Amino acid sequence: MKPHRRKKLTIIAFIATGLGVAIGLSLYALSNAIDLFFTPSQIAAGEVNNGQRIRIGGMVKEGSVAKSQDSLHVEFITTDYSHDLLVRYDGILPDLFREGQGVVAEGMVANGVFEASRVLAKHDENYMSVEVKAALDAAERDRNLTEMATEGGPSGS
Amino acid sequence: MWQWFFRLGSPKWFYEMSGKWLPWLLVLMTVLMSVGILWALLFVPQDYQQGDTIRIMYVHVPVASISLACFPLMAVAGVITLVWKMKLADMVAKCAAPIGAWFTAVALATGAIWGQPIWGTWWAWDARLTSMLIQFFLLIGVIALRSAIESPDAAAKACALLAIVGAINVPIIKYSVEWWNTLHQPSSDFSMDENSAFGPEIWVPLVIMIFAVYIFFVISLILSTRNEILQRERRSQWVVDIVAKEQV
Repeated sequence: MKPHRRKKLTIIAFIATGLGVAIGLSLYALSNAIDLFFTPSQIAAGEVNNGQRIRIGGMVKEGSVAKSQDSLHVEFITTDYSHDLLVRYDGILPDLFREGQGVVAEGMVANGVFEASRVLAKHDENYMSVEVKAALDAAERDRNLTEMATEGGPSGS
Repeated sequence: MWQWFFRLGSPKWFYEMSGKWLPWLLVLMTVLMSVGILWALLFVPQDYQQGDTIRIMYVHVPVASISLACFPLMAVAGVITLVWKMKLADMVAKCAAPIGAWFTAVALATGAIWGQPIWGTWWAWDARLTSMLIQFFLLIGVIALRSAIESPDAAAKACALLAIVGAINVPIIKYSVEWWNTLHQPSSDFSMDENSAFGPEIWVPLVIMIFAVYIFFVISLILSTRNEILQRERRSQWVVDIVAKEQV
């Protein structure tokens, strides 16, 4: 390679690396602002002020959804499996909202409860047909039954 | 050692070779695209949660992933333009920008159409969606920069630099779903097991579509670059000969 070309290539490599490092560091510094939502653990750790408009994200805890009979009011618990947060919401839930699924809610924390003004469903990276899902659920059920049988077996009744 | 490299950079050589490749690529694309689309629309089972909405993935994922190839391609072409001043590299870079912009726009649009029924919103300012929008604006920027500078040499240099800088956004798009928490889901892991999430019945047609769309991208780029070659080399003898032959 001719010297003037090598020199140019070095300059380009230098610019690209420098910019890459600069952008990388600023993104790292801003990572709290880039995150779309806070987790229940972050809320529990007091990272958010009361009345600050934020988004929270987590799983809808199994068996925690309580819908009002005569209004759109709904309450449910979001969890990241280490901390829980109660969410109150008046409005229409997305079709994919269900227990055990991810959810992102917009609103504010007031007295340890999250007052949501909007609820979005989060889809995970698992795609499968109805049949496969049914087969997986059946396998899960069988495993649970066997575990219960082996645990309860020796002691008897 | 460098001889093949410079021959590759000759517009005449590229024009002749690409003319031979095009019919094969077209046939391959037609076959893969028809198989992929029909499979995705008619034979892929409904998703247990999304139902038929899952079929949007078979357009969205190929288009989005191939739109990520555009900036690295333009950046490599840009380095070649800046260091070796190869004319063909700049022609390819020029033609890749609008195609990449269209791919990015389609990825954003299909994503929004999928997001509305699934998430409950067309748009969220999460890291994946925002970095993809930035890629769209960067590509529009490259196109605008090229048409704003009158001297072709100066335009080539400026666009090459912008392409190299813009390529930094590509790993950010790719890893945004892992580095930050986002509404967009992370990439799925391919599974060989039929009875698991993202098994073969879901991903085989997706892989076919990715290849089909990739070839579509290459064909678009070749056709557009051939145009550009004829335009820029219109005063050289071999182009004059071709034009004379076509006009008979």
